[in-house]
Amino acid sequence: MDFEESSSTKLASREFLAVVLAGFGNELLPLTSDHGDEPCPKALLPIANRPMIDYPLTWLEQSGITEVLLICPTAHRSRISHHIHSDTSSSSYPSLHVDVQTYDETQNLTVGTCTVLKHFSHRIQQDFVLLPCDFIPPAGLTLTSLLNKYRIESHLDGAIVTACWYQAQRPEKGAVPEDWGSAPTAIPIVWDRQSGTLLHVDTLDDLDRNGEELELRMSLLSRYARTSLSSRYQDSHVYVCKKSVLDVLHRKAEFDSFREEFVPWLCKLHYQRTKQQKYSKTLQPSQANVSQVLALRHSTLYSGLTYGGHHPPDDSTDSPTHKPMPLSGPPSPIGHIDDGIPAVSLRVGLIVHEGGFAGRANNLPTLLELNRHFLSLTTYALPTDPENRSLINVKSQISNDSMVGTSTKVGERTTIKRSVIGKHCVIGRSVRIVGCILLDHCVVGDGAKLDGSILGKNTKVGAKAELVRCLTQAGYEVDAAGSFKHEKLEISDWTAGRDEDAGNEESDSGGDDETDEEE
Amino acid sequence: MAPKAAAGKEKLVDDDEEVLQAVILADSFNKRFKPLTADKPRCLLPICNAPLLDWTLESLALAGVQEVFVICRSHADQIKAALQNSKWSRPASGLKIVPILTARETLSPGDAMRDIYTHGIIAGDFVLVYGDLVSNVRIDEVVRVHKARRRTNKDAIMTIVVKEAGTTHRTRSRGESAVFVLDRDTAECLHYEPVSGYPPKTLARIPREVLDEHPDIEIRNDLIDCGIDVCSVEVPSLFQDNFDYADIRRDFVHGVLTSDLLMKNIHCYVAREGYAARVQDTRSYDAISKDILSRWTFPLVPDDNHPGDVAYEHLRGNKYLPKDNSVVLSRTCKVGRNTLIGPASQIFADAQVAASTLGARCTVGARAVVRDSYLGDDVVVGAGCVIENSIVGAGVHVGAGTRIARGALVADGVRLGAGSRLLPFERVSRRRPVKEDGEEDGAEEEESDDDSEIEEAEENQTQLSSLLGPDSDAFVWPRKSGKGGNEDEDELENFNNARLMRLGKFRDDFADLDLSDPGSVTSSSGDSDESSDDDSVIQNFSPSSSTTSLPFAAAAISAGEHAKESEFRSEVRQSLERAFAEGHALDNAAVELKTLRMASNVPLARVREAVVERVVESIALVDGAGPQRVEIKRWVDRWGPLVRLIGGVDGVETVSILQAHCAGSSRLPLFGQILAAFYQNDIVEEDDIRAWHAQPAAKGAGLKEGPQLENMQKTWLVGARMIHQFNEQESSEEESSEAEESGEGSEEAEDASEDEDEDKEDEEDEEDEDDEDDEDGDKE
Repeated sequence: MDFEESSSTKLASREFLAVVLAGFGNELLPLTSDHGDEPCPKALLPIANRPMIDYPLTWLEQSGITEVLLICPTAHRSRISHHIHSDTSSSSYPSLHVDVQTYDETQNLTVGTCTVLKHFSHRIQQDFVLLPCDFIPPAGLTLTSLLNKYRIESHLDGAIVTACWYQAQRPEKGAVPEDWGSAPTAIPIVWDRQSGTLLHVDTLDDLDRNGEELELRMSLLSRYARTSLSSRYQDSHVYVCKKSVLDVLHRKAEFDSFREEFVPWLCKLHYQRTKQQKYSKTLQPSQANVSQVLALRHSTLYSGLTYGGHHPPDDSTDSPTHKPMPLSGPPSPIGHIDDGIPAVSLRVGLIVHEGGFAGRANNLPTLLELNRHFLSLTTYALPTDPENRSLINVKSQISNDSMVGTSTKVGERTTIKRSVIGKHCVIGRSVRIVGCILLDHCVVGDGAKLDGSILGKNTKVGAKAELVRCLTQAGYEVDAAGSFKHEKLEISDWTAGRDEDAGNEESDSGGDDETDEEE
Repeated sequence: MAPKAAAGKEKLVDDDEEVLQAVILADSFNKRFKPLTADKPRCLLPICNAPLLDWTLESLALAGVQEVFVICRSHADQIKAALQNSKWSRPASGLKIVPILTARETLSPGDAMRDIYTHGIIAGDFVLVYGDLVSNVRIDEVVRVHKARRRTNKDAIMTIVVKEAGTTHRTRSRGESAVFVLDRDTAECLHYEPVSGYPPKTLARIPREVLDEHPDIEIRNDLIDCGIDVCSVEVPSLFQDNFDYADIRRDFVHGVLTSDLLMKNIHCYVAREGYAARVQDTRSYDAISKDILSRWTFPLVPDDNHPGDVAYEHLRGNKYLPKDNSVVLSRTCKVGRNTLIGPASQIFADAQVAASTLGARCTVGARAVVRDSYLGDDVVVGAGCVIENSIVGAGVHVGAGTRIARGALVADGVRLGAGSRLLPFERVSRRRPVKEDGEEDGAEEEESDDDSEIEEAEENQTQLSSLLGPDSDAFVWPRKSGKGGNEDEDELENFNNARLMRLGKFRDDFADLDLSDPGSVTSSSGDSDESSDDDSVIQNFSPSSSTTSLPFAAAAISAGEHAKESEFRSEVRQSLERAFAEGHALDNAAVELKTLRMASNVPLARVREAVVERVVESIALVDGAGPQRVEIKRWVDRWGPLVRLIGGVDGVETVSILQAHCAGSSRLPLFGQILAAFYQNDIVEEDDIRAWHAQPAAKGAGLKEGPQLENMQKTWLVGARMIHQFNEQESSEEESSEAEESGEGSEEAEDASEDEDEDKEDEEDEEDEDDEDDEDGDKE
């Protein structure tokens, strides 16, 4: 047992480097706006009382990868690195060596993922896994399965990337106020089910070019005669890439976003001949490993080998696919297609994950959704250690589907339902909290009512205040008996304490599509 | 008759056991089989010795159809007669067949559907097929699925039967196919994208709105459209409402799917079992014949359920002989696999028949070869004939020693004299007497709009039929050229697309059709990656053979002409190679070339190019100056005069062509010697060489930097040296003539010849030097 574990870990460590990108989280404003001079890094926003970065890091740990390059904005460095190297968190990923690197950018002026990667390409000397800090992997999907698909295909037919898409959640209507932004819509993709190949990603450019119709090349359709077009999946932004992909990235200076521009473009390398010729040298795909090919050809279970026009021979030579009589027909004039296909496919492999909850916590609706998902999995039990236990008043009611962090004090006759309460919070008496997320160090005064709101760190809610579907910036102070509905409460000026017009900021956050990318 | 049928129906409709009706459109609405269909409709063409219509009826009977309406338009009387005489009209057949005549104005399947509507014969769901269907698909199962769907969804008006196959499946028409966009779960057809082979389609456009309601969609480019549709009763009325629907797929299906008003659904039935295909063109005729012979259509095979009345015996290797032992096979003849031989046929000694069907009472003479061909009844193939990949109608008499090349169509009753030669894709019918009166009632396929074509053909008949042997009674149809077609010609029927649907087309034949994405042209422009998406649409069309075209010629001509010309070029090459190999007389070879030229309508210069190219390339590269000289002399002496014989003497052009060819070929070092040989054979004159040399193009003007330019310059220098020599000779000649001014004029001729001899030697020396020079140059 021990032996097995250690050997696999070593193998993987040499093989892959994980590159985790952490950004500002402009879609999560105001939760990610600065708390005074202190930044609130998106990577540390908790989901179900765990900083979201812990989820991908734990996932990496399970896959046996040890080398991690974490790239974050300069301002976030100290907080993130403090978190990662703290005792509590390193216990969940003990074998990871996280190298925190920074790049200079500000919240208002962000650079694209491609630029960031190019900047750090000298640090990436092997095949790498690119992950966002906000992907919450589903329970049924291991990173190892992705790595294995990549391992097989990159050797077998020269795949260059393996991507992972997951089934998008369709949030119930009205669960989230509209002005929080909408959950990302699913992107139509064309993919081959049999071999697991991503063939086409519908990009915004495509939409601009032809908003009415989806344009597909006939060359694609003749190579993959039976393809699936799905609009129910989302990109996890987890890519297992060949190292040489970075070299191609260097040649394509105009790309900004890895997900929105580069990957859709990479898909085309597989079936567009001139592109393939142009870039195959750069990509230098490893020569097909003969022994493995042979082994897989004899495998009865592995179906991926017959990708694209590679029909089983009887399909193209003989007439109908299903033989009514076991007699061989005359050879078809078409002949075999095999010789037309180069040995190196340069394709983008794809794993589609269905079932099991997954999401990228890069906007408010999914953040809420993910929190609720984890709530539904846990059942609340009173803390067992006497110290924490004593903080929770016996006369408070905490429903089963809630979560309360350590060292949080809950006052008398307080009701908490379907909510996540962070650590070190102080909840007063007769408070009613329903469907809320309270980050750490919040203080809620007596008799306050909170419904469907997300409170940033250190938010102080005065007594008898009422918040319905509000968002507060870290450190915001709600006046006693104040009442807000559907508002984003932000601190425009630190000294002013309170700001009524939250609308401005909101429109800003809506426009920042690119920022979302880095996360 | 129609109202009666309808009245009879109504009572039955209420019953649970509804009578299953079928409508056969027994007209093709196109002319792909011309001239075979001149005197009979396509549905009566025999395939595996039984008329297509019988196969269709057999397929329907197999599927449990009880009542069939046959919509006939052209040659309706023949169809009626055929139906009456067939086994289906016997009382026990279980099929009730009602022929329905439609007006001659019925020009499309849509018109036929409107006719069906006006006749009011349809009572319930019905099966719509074409009269050229061969199928063993359980259509009753499709009908059951269709009806079940109708119970829950009244708007599901039609179910299209499609068959799974590969993209490049041989029965899948290359010229006319489609991409089906289906819902993954319900097989509802969400979008229909017709695909034509030429001009190649590059983009399939799928409306985004279908994604809203159908998150999981399959895009299928691997389906064969079987032409079997299960329609609900409102389908004919939809045709009636939308009078512009002509084609069932491209207009009706497309119209219904894109309409915002109709709100009707069309579904597909993806048949995984069974076989179904339409004989849509000669290519699919070939494919389906082979499918029948190799028993994909079981139980519809010649030895069982054969629609004809002959019982066949199935032998090893898919050979079929009649059970009555009426066939006479010589002891030394060879019958290959996948062959069907009709009753009372005779095959003589050393004849070979393979992968072919022979009709009843055929005779294959001694040493004749019939391969991949389809012979009708009573065909007589003379001794030593070669017939490849062709369709030969009934009663054709093929004289001894005739060659019928691939793709030829020979209509019923033609007599081909001994030693005839049919070029690839030639179409031949019986020479028609001068405008017979009976034309109106028959021959719909070649009426009115074809008259001009026929007249044009009459004019060229002497040219076209020059390769036919004596005693031929044949009319050679002109080849359609790429641009000549009528303006209003159907997009699908355009020349180049039709080429994809012809019999006898193998992969290399398409090389000249630029079937890859046009975007590829811009690929040299470097960075603009988005536009430079090049992808060959059909992978296995090898692009290699397009290298035969000369670089400067290829750039200038447009795609259509290019296609035609390179087809022409490859045929010229074959013809010349044959001539070279078999040692034809110069005159004969020249006639053949002229015919080819007439047939393809290409400029003379192209012929000259092709000839020069062939001659030059035939010269073997030999070591040593002496043997090389002999080799050149041998070829140029023998075949050089062909350049003059093809007509339109233009020496300057000949030299230019020679130069351009040598510059791009491995025969570059031979340029000087070949030019000298041309000069000696009077193919080019001194003046021509001078005129050529003076042209800026000879120096390579206008060419881009590169090896081609360098080579052009090299050859130009060779020319310069030659002219220099001419000048020297002239001066010496002048001197000598001055010296002998007093001498008799008659001696001059001798002098000239002597000079020539000297020239020869000089030039040859010169050339040797040149060779060395060239080599030096190369080394540098």
